Amino acid sequence: MRRSSFAIFHLMAVVVILFGLITGPRLAIINHDFLAFLSPLLPQGAILSTHVLSGCVLTLIAIAFAFVSLRNPFYGTPSKFDKLINWFGYISIILAIITGWLLWLSPQSLGLIVHGICAAAIMVYLLLHGVKHIVYKGKRVLSVLIPRNALVLLSCCVALVYCSGLGVQYFMLTQHLRLEIAPLSEHSFLEIDGLGDEPEWSRAKPVTLTTFGGANFTDGSSEVEIKALSNHSETFFLIRWQDPTQSLSHLPLEKTAAGWQVQEDGFYRFDERTYYEDKFAIMLSTTCELGGDGTVHYGDTPLNDKPQNWHGKGYHASTDGRVRDLWHWKALRTNDMYLADDNFVGAAKKVALGERRYTAGYQADGKESGAYVMNWRWYSPDTVTPKRLPIPTAEETPNKVLDWFSSTVYTPQSDSAKIGEQLPSVLYRSNRFEGDRADVRARGRWQDGYWTLELVRKHQTNSALDVDLQSGVCMWVSAFDHAQIAHTRHHRAIQLRYML
Amino acid sequence: MNITSRFILTLIIVGMTFACLWGEPPKRKAPAHSRFIKVTSDMQPLSAWQGPWHCVYDKKLNLIWEVKRDDESIHDGYWSYSWYDGNTGIADQGDCYFEASRCDSQDLIRNTNRAALCGSTMWRLPTPAELRSLIQTPNSPGSPHIASDFFPHIKNGDYWSNAADAQLPRAFRGKKRGAVAVNFHTKESLSLPYDNAAFVMLVATPPIQLSTALSGNEPITLN
Repeated sequence: MRRSSFAIFHLMAVVVILFGLITGPRLAIINHDFLAFLSPLLPQGAILSTHVLSGCVLTLIAIAFAFVSLRNPFYGTPSKFDKLINWFGYISIILAIITGWLLWLSPQSLGLIVHGICAAAIMVYLLLHGVKHIVYKGKRVLSVLIPRNALVLLSCCVALVYCSGLGVQYFMLTQHLRLEIAPLSEHSFLEIDGLGDEPEWSRAKPVTLTTFGGANFTDGSSEVEIKALSNHSETFFLIRWQDPTQSLSHLPLEKTAAGWQVQEDGFYRFDERTYYEDKFAIMLSTTCELGGDGTVHYGDTPLNDKPQNWHGKGYHASTDGRVRDLWHWKALRTNDMYLADDNFVGAAKKVALGERRYTAGYQADGKESGAYVMNWRWYSPDTVTPKRLPIPTAEETPNKVLDWFSSTVYTPQSDSAKIGEQLPSVLYRSNRFEGDRADVRARGRWQDGYWTLELVRKHQTNSALDVDLQSGVCMWVSAFDHAQIAHTRHHRAIQLRYML
Repeated sequence: MNITSRFILTLIIVGMTFACLWGEPPKRKAPAHSRFIKVTSDMQPLSAWQGPWHCVYDKKLNLIWEVKRDDESIHDGYWSYSWYDGNTGIADQGDCYFEASRCDSQDLIRNTNRAALCGSTMWRLPTPAELRSLIQTPNSPGSPHIASDFFPHIKNGDYWSNAADAQLPRAFRGKKRGAVAVNFHTKESLSLPYDNAAFVMLVATPPIQLSTALSGNEPITLN
């Protein structure tokens, strides 16, 4: 291999690796708070596709380099130190490529950790290799790095590799998981009870996938199994996922010497990971792009002219003007309503200056009435004043939710709670939503380390904030183990295919 | 530049980068609204993210608005009232818990003045124009057409204005005259019979103490 050819490979690899290295840590901050200090250096926005593209291009460069090197190797004059760290670099890059592909094909938390370690090793390699050459060669390093006598060849190679990378990425992104939705007779009735024990379910072919990167799950992962049945008007989903603990606590209020306090571990920055209920989310879209169909925007300020978020993780918002449907089942707040909260991801909403929390495109569908509300008059991390107190009963186990008619208005005089006593934070003003927000019926049950959730929705709701259920629609799922936003995820979309 | 200088320079650049990254991020400041300021019941202005607040000072109209609540007090947003000013209208046709009988707008005004909410004893029903000036795009789907971040617990329903003796539409022909209300769902003004149960959001001229507190809090023009 000629020096100029080697230099072309080298330059392309440097650029692609740098893209991977600045986008990778941004993705990793979602799971690893200790990396947050790097945030000011990292790009923000819908960068998952850039990271995946850099992986595809790097794979092509590595294959081409290996092929050319085997036929006609490049003989340089490296020192022993250079040889040693070059091999360290080669091995790190190869492992990063392999683990990257494994993450795509079969995401596992272990793979994610190894991929991250490889990225850290590549950074160390770049520091040792790059800094050494910069220190020793100074400005002359540019003449080695850029093959000035082969700029035309370089341009052609860059264009070829970039286009091939796009092709590989396109091929990857069309490899969806397929969920075949078995037909259901109009005379079959499925009870939405979280059991899924009707014989009809045995005819539904399951899709199983590993979701990863969630807080509190074992290794951050949860395996999810999805089945679906459909008649002419409705689609039923039966979803089962691993969750070692049943969590039904939601920011309980505890009486202290100073007054009532909200029990929390991150709620102030809207990233509660301890005192929260289990949840499950399903997103639906008519397109199937990477990064939750392009709605995931990483970083603390990923959207222009929109406020910084408090947790530094990112926002969900659509930037193409289309709405993605989002069903958000909550083990405490909506399960006893026999509903999932019908939400959506739309364009980033207008900023309400009087609200500390901004949720960008993640919003709830409208409702005509009915709601749960928080059982405090104003949230403060110090002390709060409850809205209502439970009416004392003979039952020893207090409910996790406070019903309107089993509670009475709070007054300091009526507050006889002892220090250490707890009070629910969730107050039902009515027993269910009414209107657009109540389109998805759902009921979940937890048993032996698994949640089983049944959901049903009409194919068409005639709401501009919902996505019609039909063949070709893609879905993504996320599990939450007593976490507010730190949910599991997966990259490959699940495409619905109706057999009816 | 020799090797040693380049090495030292590299170390300095890397060190400074990490020193900057490890620094404490600046504290965030709540943004200021161009029109509204939250005010506590004892006339303390708050920043946009603070609470609880019981009134909103309206810089544009130089008024303070009663803020509805969710605490079953006299200011609870769920209570409804018939239109009554002591002479005109029909008393006690709304629903509330704080009166032995049912409620009318005069009951809320009397109780609010008695409590001197936000330092004022001059609370009244707003004019239709004052109410309409609050209409804006909703903060979220299905929410009322008002700045819900400053005016929470406002319903998608009718809010009484002070304009009485209004001609009623044909549907209410038997009722003769009524009062004007503004609907924060449809954004429309409409005439309703006095005995209709509608919501109420009171308004008052800010007391001198509040104006002083606000002018000390931030430079604004009371016009």
